[in-house]
Amino acid sequence: MSTRETIDWSVLSGPRVSRRTLLNVAVASGSVAYASQLVGAAAAPVRQNLNALRQEATQGGTLRWGFGLGQIPTLDPAQVNLGIVAGELLSNIFSGLVQFDEELGIVPDLAEEWAVSEDGLVYTFTLRPGLTFHNGDTLTANDFIYTYERTINPDFASPQANKLALITDIQAPDDTTLVITQSATNAPFLAVACSRGPGRALAPISKRAIDEMGDEQFGLAPIGCGPFMIDPATVEVGGGFEMNAFEGWYGGRPLLDKVVVQLVAEASTLVSALEAGDVDMVDIVPLIGYDQLAANDEVTLVEAAGTNWEALTMNQARPPWDNVDARMAVAKAIDRDDVNDKAFFGRAITSVGFIAPAFGWVYRPPEEVDDPQAFNLDEARQLAEAAGLDGLQPGLIGTADDQRVTETLRSQLSEIGLDVQLDQMQTNAYVERRTAGDYDMVILGSVVDADPDDGCWNYFHSTGPSNSYAYNNPEADRLADAQRQSSNQEERAALLQELQALVAGEAVYAFLYHYPDVTGFYTYVQGYTPIPEQRYLETVWLDQ
Amino acid sequence: MTQYIIRRLIHSVIIVWGCATLVFFLLRAIPGDPIIQLLGPEYTPQAADALRAKLGLDEHVVVQYFRWMGNLLRGDLGSSITGAESVRSAILTGLPRTMSIAALAFLIATAIAVPAGIMAALRRNSVADFAVSTVAFIGVSMPSFWFGIILILIFSVELNWLPSLGYASISDDGLWEWFKHLILPSLAIGAGYAAILMRFVRAGLLEALSSDYIRTARSKGLTERRVVIAHGLRNSLIPVITVAGIQVALLLSGAVVIETVFSIRGIGRLLVGAIFDKDYPMVQGAILVVAVIFVFANLIVDIAYTLIDPRIKYE
Repeated sequence: MSTRETIDWSVLSGPRVSRRTLLNVAVASGSVAYASQLVGAAAAPVRQNLNALRQEATQGGTLRWGFGLGQIPTLDPAQVNLGIVAGELLSNIFSGLVQFDEELGIVPDLAEEWAVSEDGLVYTFTLRPGLTFHNGDTLTANDFIYTYERTINPDFASPQANKLALITDIQAPDDTTLVITQSATNAPFLAVACSRGPGRALAPISKRAIDEMGDEQFGLAPIGCGPFMIDPATVEVGGGFEMNAFEGWYGGRPLLDKVVVQLVAEASTLVSALEAGDVDMVDIVPLIGYDQLAANDEVTLVEAAGTNWEALTMNQARPPWDNVDARMAVAKAIDRDDVNDKAFFGRAITSVGFIAPAFGWVYRPPEEVDDPQAFNLDEARQLAEAAGLDGLQPGLIGTADDQRVTETLRSQLSEIGLDVQLDQMQTNAYVERRTAGDYDMVILGSVVDADPDDGCWNYFHSTGPSNSYAYNNPEADRLADAQRQSSNQEERAALLQELQALVAGEAVYAFLYHYPDVTGFYTYVQGYTPIPEQRYLETVWLDQ
Repeated sequence: MTQYIIRRLIHSVIIVWGCATLVFFLLRAIPGDPIIQLLGPEYTPQAADALRAKLGLDEHVVVQYFRWMGNLLRGDLGSSITGAESVRSAILTGLPRTMSIAALAFLIATAIAVPAGIMAALRRNSVADFAVSTVAFIGVSMPSFWFGIILILIFSVELNWLPSLGYASISDDGLWEWFKHLILPSLAIGAGYAAILMRFVRAGLLEALSSDYIRTARSKGLTERRVVIAHGLRNSLIPVITVAGIQVALLLSGAVVIETVFSIRGIGRLLVGAIFDKDYPMVQGAILVVAVIFVFANLIVDIAYTLIDPRIKYE
């Protein structure tokens, strides 16, 4: 017996949980009945797509894929700490319990359906029958238990272990049933811990593969269960690797025979490589090459909304940044359109908060938001004068990647009397100082989020791991917790928007931009489905 | 001579050891903790401690140093910080690439610089001399990465003649593919080297041609060709070879940049990646190899002097 007021977690059950459906369900009823209808509905759209494509598509061929990274230290899902590697590479080598659709809704992957108990604590997944790993071993619910135990083992030091911290019990009553119990409700659990790619904490690991290969070798050429399998003989750290079609994938053989992943560290080289025809596709189009590629008739650019945000934060443990007026002076002195033009060639979306455009169910474009940080130099100057900012020399730490942004900001902030000292350093030094809170100002943000929670709780909750700038507001804590515990999508959207308004009004960050997700490929590359910051390649084929 | 070489070899070992030691401690002195980078910003202190212990980074730096030295003496360079790759195999894969680029760059540079330098010297102050010197001036001023990008735009993007990135091995892809992948990167670093070399050939030859033995040779009735090549050029080679030794360093450091532009994972790019990742064992291993190459290249240069100029003898 469920009414609109009670929290009913079973709406997260599925073979399909689209954000929109969820919203409608929550509005229409208490939703138990509706959700139970959803259980047992038609198969996943990605798979249907693939089967439909088989009729028209050319089977076979090799996709040469330029990937904009210098090296990939590991492909062990539990050890990958780069969102791009997880969303774009791991997602092709490993399937997850669930996966995303184009709107970041959740659809089946290895689990054909799942049910969530009404109290939101127990998730019961039903796996597809006859699943196999790339080494031919059967994949059962027990493999997820092994994966869980391996990931949370403190000696293994997985950066993904925190995603599984609420799990109190994990059981496999039979080969195709997996029951996970958590100590508290956890709205983003499916997206951040169970999804293909980003939810890599539970990407199933073959115990036999680990026993035979050891963790290090597994990290180089993991045995997965996704549509493509790595050819170990081709793996070269810092060079790339080849993936072959996996005949035993549950969705059937992918359309391509092979994907050659070629790592290209230098942005201009990546653009040239595509133009010269040395690669067929690039993972992310460097914005510096956008216009050049857009002018090329043979190249298709596909743009999806970003699931990220970037902003400037000020360390509240260091005066005067504990003063909201000082922070707001900085926020209002920043002309975000100018930052966008100078640093992103006008391709980014200016941001009014942490809610990224890809999350259509909660995102509101800047023109629909009452933005307390709107660019206003007069007000900024008044606030700066009152807060005594004139002549201060705050240090702004960043890496070479942020250089265009930080230099633009330095020039803009000189308008309110700040003489910003740019301190550009290597990534590890930057991360160390950022983590330790050793800075006055820093460019910070969240990338490749599977759910807005990824870019919210960690940053605005007083105990959030990324909150190294001493932001502590009980109301923000309450909202950050409440959105995690809400199962009602509409209510959750309202909570997130309320939190965004709160942190924008307190200028915890001077919000700057969302980076668009642009991929590019030759027109003969067909069947690509744009899913924000994911690259599922099983439906891709070559029309040559 | 043998004694000299033995003495130089002992010196070389000491230099390489000093270099390796310096790098070991410098790496640990510069800011940035590899553990935090490996675990990402949301790491837990327990995970950091466990990983630090696993990598032996919890021990005193002197203990770490002697362990590394001990392993090094046994020929064990260790594994990359993620443990996924042995430093030795990474270097053995990268070295042929860097050496291929450097060797071809050297050949290209020599092939351009020596004839151009001779011509400039023989037709001193002519239009040809002026033209060659101007081109050389541009060559010296042009950063190799910029020239590399220009070469890619012309020969890969516009003309589609040569690949814009990557490396092909002779054994897997054949000689022609190997060569095709090397032309542009080698040209990019070879150009700057050719310009410097050309200036030295020109200056050396001018000096030699004005000396007494050349006048003697001419008065003996030797052909001008023989005078220039056998007497003039040979005697002008000493400074050229000295520069060549020093230029090995330029070619190697050029490879660091050019390998990134052309996405070739030789020693240079290996080193850059390792530095960014604070991959201690990999940086140490790569620097060690670069130091060995540099020291031995200069040893070979010193020995080459005696072959070219019989007046030079080592005791």
